[in-house]
Amino acid sequence: MEFTKEQFFIVTGASSGLGEATALELIKQGASVVAIARREDKLKELKSKCANPDNLYIEVKDLSQDIDSLPDYVKTLREKYGKFRGMAYCAGINFIGSIRSINYQDTLDLFNIDYFAPLFMAKGILDRRNNIGKGFSLVCISSSDGINPVKGQSIYTGAKSALILTMKSISKEVSSYGARVNCVSPSMIKTPMTVGENCVLEDDNKEKYPFGWGEAQDVSNMICYLLSDKAKYISGQNYIIDSGGEV
Amino acid sequence: MERQEFLEKMQNVLQTEKELSFDTELEELEEWDSLSAMATIAFLDKNFNVKIVYKDIPSLKTVEDIAKKAGL
Repeated sequence: MEFTKEQFFIVTGASSGLGEATALELIKQGASVVAIARREDKLKELKSKCANPDNLYIEVKDLSQDIDSLPDYVKTLREKYGKFRGMAYCAGINFIGSIRSINYQDTLDLFNIDYFAPLFMAKGILDRRNNIGKGFSLVCISSSDGINPVKGQSIYTGAKSALILTMKSISKEVSSYGARVNCVSPSMIKTPMTVGENCVLEDDNKEKYPFGWGEAQDVSNMICYLLSDKAKYISGQNYIIDSGGEV
Repeated sequence: MERQEFLEKMQNVLQTEKELSFDTELEELEEWDSLSAMATIAFLDKNFNVKIVYKDIPSLKTVEDIAKKAGL
């Protein structure tokens, strides 16, 4: 067991994909998780999958709305659950961002959930009154597209690359009190965002993706490692998880 | 901005759990570091259009000193 139930983590985007895998792994390793997502039914499903359902706390919230109030939202969560040990920001959306097809509103919608929401959730959780201080760890999900983009990903790439360097800058601010901030940048991972009708990836490119599709757990293992004290000397980094193909 | 509102806002600028008063000595706050100084400079600039620089920081001894800079 890496964690104890007195150690509370926020996981956003917890109803599916990387967020779900991260919440399940943290619970498995003994932690308590405040799982945030828009869909209550999906969060209840998640609870039923948990190794220890009592350690999962459900919060229904659309993080793309009223982004300015997210720091206050984090404060209300702290008043409810106590000071947080870490946060994994896993909420995200993607769409084909061809220069021929983009419009301003879609671009804003994507930046709201993929860039502004993590930024203002970070503002809330990195307020020293809301976290445990030394030992606190924030992990944001970026994307290998944020380093080395493929065509048709202009908007997503913009938000994800901005996130990587924003978090790097923030890591330098909060190191003074012992908090850590890192990004994880996966490539082709099988999640509801990337497969099926929302698929935005070319999945037959063996040069770019030598091992083919990855599983959500391939990423959540890394996230949980970065959230743990095993990573206590690691901050301001971005870890690419792409089976060695892209960079 | 009234003085009381200023005090409440400083609480968030310094992100401290210790309840601030105008007499609070900045050096006594664990949170009074270079980042808090940076946040204070930005706070004065944005809310009061008062420009101070890093070398002015050592002259700020109490919360009252910051209020004076703000003209309160």
